[in-house]
Amino acid sequence: MTEFFQYILNGISQGCIYILLASGLTLIFGIMNVPNFAQGHLYMVGAYFGFYMVMSLAMNYWLALILSTIALGFIGLLLFRFVFYPMRDTPEVNLFVAAMALLMILEGAALYFFGTETKWFVVPFSRKVLTFGDLSLPVQRVIVILGTLVVMTFLHLFIKKTSIGATLEATAQQREGAMLCGIKVARVSALAFMIGTGLAGIAGVLIGPAVLLEPTMGMGPLLVAFSAVVFGGMGSIPGAILGAFILGLVESLASGYISATYSLTFVFGIMIIMLLFRPKGLLGKETWRP
Amino acid sequence: MALLEVNGLTKRFGGLAAVEDLDFSIQAGELLSIIGPNGAGKTTLFNLLTGFYRPTSGRIIFNGADITGLKPHCITRSGMGRTFQMTHIFRNSTVLDNVIIGQTSHSRIGLLGSILGTPSARREKKKVIEKAKEIISFVELADQEDKTAYSLTEESKKRLSIALALATEPKLLLLDEPAAGVNLEEMGGLMELIGRIRKSGISVCLIEHRMRMVMSISDRIIVLSYGRNIADGTPEEVANNENVIKAYLGGYRVAQC
Amino acid sequence: METLKNLFYSKTTAWLLALMLAVAVPPLAGGYLVSILILICIWSIMCFSINIIYGYTGQLSLGQAAFFGIGAYAFGILTVKLHMGFWPAFLAAVVITGLIGFLIGIPALKLRGPYFILVTLGFSVIIGVVLVAWVDLTGGANGLAGIPRPNPVPLPWGGQLSFDSLLSMYYFVLFFLLIIMVFTHRLISSLLGKTLVAISYNETLTESLGINTMSRKILSFTISAVLAAIAGVFYGSYNVVISPEIAYFARGMDVVAYLIVGGAGTMAGPILGTLVLMAVPELLQVVPSLKTLINGIILMLFLVFLPSGITGGIDTLWAKIFRSRIRQYGPARG
Repeated sequence: MTEFFQYILNGISQGCIYILLASGLTLIFGIMNVPNFAQGHLYMVGAYFGFYMVMSLAMNYWLALILSTIALGFIGLLLFRFVFYPMRDTPEVNLFVAAMALLMILEGAALYFFGTETKWFVVPFSRKVLTFGDLSLPVQRVIVILGTLVVMTFLHLFIKKTSIGATLEATAQQREGAMLCGIKVARVSALAFMIGTGLAGIAGVLIGPAVLLEPTMGMGPLLVAFSAVVFGGMGSIPGAILGAFILGLVESLASGYISATYSLTFVFGIMIIMLLFRPKGLLGKETWRP
Repeated sequence: MALLEVNGLTKRFGGLAAVEDLDFSIQAGELLSIIGPNGAGKTTLFNLLTGFYRPTSGRIIFNGADITGLKPHCITRSGMGRTFQMTHIFRNSTVLDNVIIGQTSHSRIGLLGSILGTPSARREKKKVIEKAKEIISFVELADQEDKTAYSLTEESKKRLSIALALATEPKLLLLDEPAAGVNLEEMGGLMELIGRIRKSGISVCLIEHRMRMVMSISDRIIVLSYGRNIADGTPEEVANNENVIKAYLGGYRVAQC
Repeated sequence: METLKNLFYSKTTAWLLALMLAVAVPPLAGGYLVSILILICIWSIMCFSINIIYGYTGQLSLGQAAFFGIGAYAFGILTVKLHMGFWPAFLAAVVITGLIGFLIGIPALKLRGPYFILVTLGFSVIIGVVLVAWVDLTGGANGLAGIPRPNPVPLPWGGQLSFDSLLSMYYFVLFFLLIIMVFTHRLISSLLGKTLVAISYNETLTESLGINTMSRKILSFTISAVLAAIAGVFYGSYNVVISPEIAYFARGMDVVAYLIVGGAGTMAGPILGTLVLMAVPELLQVVPSLKTLINGIILMLFLVFLPSGITGGIDTLWAKIFRSRIRQYGPARG
């Protein structure tokens, strides 16, 4: 029985990472209809960025977290400005290919610069583990959970309580309408992009000390995060959060009870089943057709 | 028996009912027009009839068969053709190629036949091209047969989209705003074309905002407002119907041309 | 008309010239060059695979690497572990992969746009995991070795043509590449081909014309899985050894890059793209890990500045010089 709760606990912390990634995906997809296939690799870049700052530059972990987020947000801005915004009027599929090209670039760069060696991201509290009775959770994972709560709360307040946030939500729902209202769609879209990639950066640095860093660490989380977006209901952040949380738990349970190697396959399979029987996901709304 | 019968048709998106409890029918040989303010549910109705949307409830019976919930291509094959508000055509193909593709559902060329170039495949291809040319001259685009679709005028594009629908050999043709974006003279030409379509035995159902056209060619008119059917009758009856007048005067304009 | 005739003549002569070069030059080239040519042919076949499902039918499948891997491994397992002959194993491997493609296509093609792409990507990643993890079947990370070359073909004038040499293997693969090109051309010119292109331009309209778009998409997807499998089988046969990297998902993206850079939805695109993006780095001895990075950058540049690829660029240039009509291409055009 303790096994079960341990898996649940692990699943919660893993689910938090997926929540961050999935929310970023939803923002970027909602605002520009770009499925950011590179979200997982941006998360990997965030993790490596944090790693180098802490390990090579002996920077404080929290400072590295903030800087990494800003750096990834900046990358998002560059991507928007030089790739996705100029391509906004081209056939939709070209944007998808561009997202794929971005994935290739980051994948190639990671392999070339970091090689296949794995890195250990060591932080003062890396070794510490909290125990509650028979259950244990590394401190870093607690930080992941708390960090996600903080970030998502801020995001929620930002979108619901500030005028910029409201503008963002409006633009994501109705681009043309937003333009007619005088909203500078380009600026709002850039902001959504930056937040989207920034979230990937935060996720990377949060999880970094808890896992082995390797150039391929982004692919699995990408697929789970995407599955979460689909599972929870495309186009809604609450849906993404719900989906990410559930799939995080599912993955952990599958990993523990069935097989760690095939846990991704299991999660993916669940998404496919959802797609076949209830394409709009748990919280999604039916889509309009032409 | 009516060619098309709609019973209690309802479509909800989330909490919003785009179309609610619609009942109407179309007799063979008739021309029925559907009018109503923007957002009244007219195109949604077409999408429901042609299978692009699944009804939340209600039944659609076409030519004696229940087609509710069937996929679009099955419905087209059973004899219902349509055009789209946005004038969907294959922009990058020639007019001739467009109509050739339109005939696919009625031609009998197999994959193996075309790859191997068998005599029967070649004969079939000839037949398809001849038929396409017939349809193109019917809609009076014969002189533009080799032009690429994107270079056509708005009116020619409308004629091409009608040609596409005709290529599917429909018994009932649904036209979604065929006269949008064309001038008076062109509209007259389209009205003449619709007249010839009716003469060839095809029933027509029309969505239009241009009252001159609606009033002069319709046998019957249905008025939709907020997804509901508020009037059903001849042009004179509808023009004098109080509910209709209220719906239109309630802030919506109707193009009087 | 004069200028159009020029265009026609130039295209046909260009192809004939290319064919002559492809047949005549290799015997004069060294072994290293011939092995690159073999790889170009194999990857061109892969490119034709993605060309059919993406270039002509408009569905961006990122799962071609998976079908390549399944084809190669099915062939490898049948020949190395079950001791099947080359030709029966070739046929079986291709049929098995086609079947898997068909089964995956049915749920996947119900999805539009990015969700379809995602499912094929996921499929590719998962197959990669399976090839490594299912050690009993696939040999795990070590892969399989001892994959045979085609059986020697008896010649009418006595003796036999064996495929042990690189040169004979090259002609073997070239032969099949040519068959596949003829097949693709006939497919595209057929009514079925026209409906596939119609689906890529406007699926809603195509459906409304009474065409079962779902079944045609599945057919297109299956055909492309079969082509990828053929490439996989040839790779296994040529390389004698296969390992899970051949099915790494990024390989599937590389092929998409080759296609788009060459020109999606054309006959020359796959070959041009493979030549430029695969052969050139190979000749310049570029480090493998750098290749994906470079491919990605070049692809990005083409997407932003010349989405119709090299063939698109050539045609536009030609049209400007001769003022003839510009041909139209598949989805990723400017």
